[in-house]
Amino acid sequence: MFEAIFRFFFELSPVVFSQGEFRFAPTTGSYVAAAAVLVAVGLTLSAYRSGRGRPRDRAILTVIRVALLAILLVCLFRPLLVVKAAVAQQNFLGVLLDDSRSMQIADYNGQPRSAFITDQLTGPNAALLKALSDRFTVRIFRFSSAPSRTTAPGEMTFGGSQTRLGAALSGVRQELAGLPVAGLVMVSDGADTADAALGDALLGLTAESLPVFTVGVGQEQLSRDIQVGRLTTPKTALKGATLMVDVVLSQSGFDGQQITLDVEDEGTLVSTQQVTLPDAGMPASIPVRFTVTEAGPRVLRFRVSPQPGELVTENNAREALIDVRDRKEKVLYFEGEPRWEMKFIGRAIKDDSNLVLTVLQRTADNKYLRIGVDNADELAAGFPKTREELFAYRGLILGSIEAGAFTGDQLRMISEFVDRRGGGLLTLGGPRAFAEGGYAGTAVADVLPVVLDRTRIQAKDTVSRLTVKPTRAGSATAVTQLAANETASAERWSTLPGITAVNRIDSVKPGATVLLTGTDDTRAERPMLAFQRYGRGKAFSFLPQDSWIWQMHASIPVEDMTHENYWRQLLRSVVDDVPDQVEPSLTTERVEPGEAATLVANVVDPSFVELNDAIVMATITGPDGAISDLPLSWDGEHAGQYTVSVPTKAPGWYQAKLEATRAGQTIGTTVTHFRAAPGEAEFFDATLHAATLRRIAEDTGGRYYEAGNTATLADDLRYTGRGVTSVEEHDLWHMPIVLMLLVGLLCAEWGYRRVVGLA
Amino acid sequence: MSSASRSLIVAAALVVMTGSALTLGAVDQDFRGFQRRPPPMITETKADYDGRFVFMRLRYGAADLRLMRREPPWAHDFPRADFHFMKILSELTLTRTWLDQGNVRALDDPDMAMFPVAYMSEPGFWTLNESEAAGLRAYLLKGGFIIFDDFRENHGDNLVSQMRVVLPDARWVPLDVSHPIFHSFFDINSLEVEGYYGPTEWTGIFEDNDPGKRLLAVANYNHDLGELWEFSDTGYVPVDLSNEAYKFGVNYVMYAMTH
Repeated sequence: MFEAIFRFFFELSPVVFSQGEFRFAPTTGSYVAAAAVLVAVGLTLSAYRSGRGRPRDRAILTVIRVALLAILLVCLFRPLLVVKAAVAQQNFLGVLLDDSRSMQIADYNGQPRSAFITDQLTGPNAALLKALSDRFTVRIFRFSSAPSRTTAPGEMTFGGSQTRLGAALSGVRQELAGLPVAGLVMVSDGADTADAALGDALLGLTAESLPVFTVGVGQEQLSRDIQVGRLTTPKTALKGATLMVDVVLSQSGFDGQQITLDVEDEGTLVSTQQVTLPDAGMPASIPVRFTVTEAGPRVLRFRVSPQPGELVTENNAREALIDVRDRKEKVLYFEGEPRWEMKFIGRAIKDDSNLVLTVLQRTADNKYLRIGVDNADELAAGFPKTREELFAYRGLILGSIEAGAFTGDQLRMISEFVDRRGGGLLTLGGPRAFAEGGYAGTAVADVLPVVLDRTRIQAKDTVSRLTVKPTRAGSATAVTQLAANETASAERWSTLPGITAVNRIDSVKPGATVLLTGTDDTRAERPMLAFQRYGRGKAFSFLPQDSWIWQMHASIPVEDMTHENYWRQLLRSVVDDVPDQVEPSLTTERVEPGEAATLVANVVDPSFVELNDAIVMATITGPDGAISDLPLSWDGEHAGQYTVSVPTKAPGWYQAKLEATRAGQTIGTTVTHFRAAPGEAEFFDATLHAATLRRIAEDTGGRYYEAGNTATLADDLRYTGRGVTSVEEHDLWHMPIVLMLLVGLLCAEWGYRRVVGLA
Repeated sequence: MSSASRSLIVAAALVVMTGSALTLGAVDQDFRGFQRRPPPMITETKADYDGRFVFMRLRYGAADLRLMRREPPWAHDFPRADFHFMKILSELTLTRTWLDQGNVRALDDPDMAMFPVAYMSEPGFWTLNESEAAGLRAYLLKGGFIIFDDFRENHGDNLVSQMRVVLPDARWVPLDVSHPIFHSFFDINSLEVEGYYGPTEWTGIFEDNDPGKRLLAVANYNHDLGELWEFSDTGYVPVDLSNEAYKFGVNYVMYAMTH
């Protein structure tokens, strides 16, 4: 519309004006005529200086007349728009067509987006292609993950599982390097699925002044759609772990509708719940609770059943890979006095095959009882005195044990256990714990999520009787879930018997999260369970001294598992994601079949100091059972970090067993998995991303067009100034706007005279 | 019928016949004119839980002591044994203890759950009703621990039969000296102990009848640790015997608190 109006007034398209150079081309006659105009201006000023009428009216009439003469003067000097126009058939034009699966979405006038390409660019009566071909030598490329030249219409399948706009632009730019290229045309929905930013690709185009004219196909909002959006799942989990995952749901056209959100573990339903959909455009985070019971690489599928009339059903499910590990996580529990809490925590997790509690129980001064040790030497000298000894554990619980029981170096070791080793620390309430135990000002106090104040400690032999309930954050985490859903869990918390605390904690650190609070007899509230990340690890503080009451109290049935579940979940969280000496990671858990996966391993010694001189080998087992060995090399940039690129062929699971050695000694081995499979990313956030396409056009000097408005595209492309061009001069004096201005000013002068009685 | 029982029946008949509200506590001689032994004076105190360790003595049988000529079996050695033992436990270990006259609970007292170690004296006289059996069953299965002390001869049969009511499938198993309960604080290297009433037999009930699991109950047949605790400050019993009795008691509590 704007384009048509502009052309009506100015005869030329906006592109010509934006690309062109404004000049005057006067002749000798122009100067003579100009002199006459100036005389006319002088006469006008002289005539209106005095005479009839008010000075104000005369001034207005003078301005109108001078303006009219000024326009005439400009026109007499022959204004020109000089523009470089591509010479027909002398230039190449790269046309990039989106061949990805998202082009199958039927939101282009009720047809699939691909219909625009078929109608306008590849079909037998392709009008746009004809218009382009009349002016340029057209090279057509189709792209999804990478561009490839296409010559036959049938090559377009619209089946690509990725859209990498940047890679496509860079690829075509390089393909056409050395040719006189007028510009590029990209036809796409703009739904980029690449991990890399577009910036690099655009920089290359900008450096070559190669403009990209983009054509957006589709709608910026789907009329009826439900999408399972972002998921945040742990990369690893212990077998039997209960996980709480926030599933982000968004929709359009289904406001307030009830749907069922299911979670499947390799096809087995592990969770189902009814969800009321949020308003359109307002994504809602839905906490989903489920338990992983099978070890190995597991694909968890979060799914909403397709609804009638839904435009895209492929985005109703999203998958997440979790490496479920079936191993024993060793936790050291140092308890400073005989008390029930230790016994009942031990009882709570005794049937958990993935948690091992090693207890160092101080029973009297310098007298210890060791429970659950692997051998006679373990903890024989009391609490570990070296980092190697302490860092062998993955979790550490400090019970009612005063800071004075440790040396200064041991306190620093505990701090480093969290910070450097990445272990999980849990501090329990008790008369010898927290500030009451003298921890304020120590290295351990820095790690804790709670603020210790040595001037505000609880009076000796006084207890606070508390009822405990989860906070909002606590309701959304697996640690404090006591039942199958949030409502039932809140109900269970409200019926648990009261417990006691002997530590006064009023506040938590700025980065800490409070999961449980307690309300005492005076209705004052205080944190009961808080946690924070610290360095590579995390620290929890649990303030009550007797959670065992949740097991023993007369109101608790014998078969009740609340206490057991709470402690298993808490201790599993404590050791969750604690790194090994050889810790693998992948830049992405899934790659397209045929693409390479980048495997990264962080290698440290027993005291968790990074090693750059280790020999790290990866034994890759493919889905067909083929085994290959690949060495990882230090990346030369990050201490202790080794990488290798692992090629894939067939789709399926790939297992990577990593082994690190140094001086012939094995440092550690670990196993990780990744998957080669086509992704579903094409159907997520699969609306027309006009902003992305606009940005590509604007950054490179091109223009953005909507799919139904490409009539001027071929003409506009002539004026990019690239390739083989000829100079075109467009006279501007005969533009309709000039005539309209002249006539308009004459009419204005005459009309004004009539109004003020000077006619 | 024993003379004691006969006396009780006669005394009860007297009360009925006179129709008075006269209590036996106020009677100082029987109908034959013999001086009566005064009824036992037992002050049943109860601890208010505050997080500290409290020794709990279980009460069973009749609650009304006025008909009794001496203290009831459950109260033998009470409260001095309890107090002495707590004092020793407090001195020897880092256990924070509640030191007072005692903590007496019935087996169906809901607050029993707040004190996971229980002590029963003279289980040979132990009787229990359904609610008491249910209370003790839940207590033990949830994590409680009970010590049976001061019994001999055929009293063991009563203990076995009563515990069968509490835990029908439970089996009493002789304990070996290598069991952790005998090494939880003191290293007790021999169980060949001449008890108060003869050679002591140490038996226990394991969770799920699995000797690899937790002990729920321990019984000292032919022994009376409570008596040795009670008189440990008087010289009535040899110091060595009291010491040994304390060792077993401390180990029992340490085991119960750590296993």
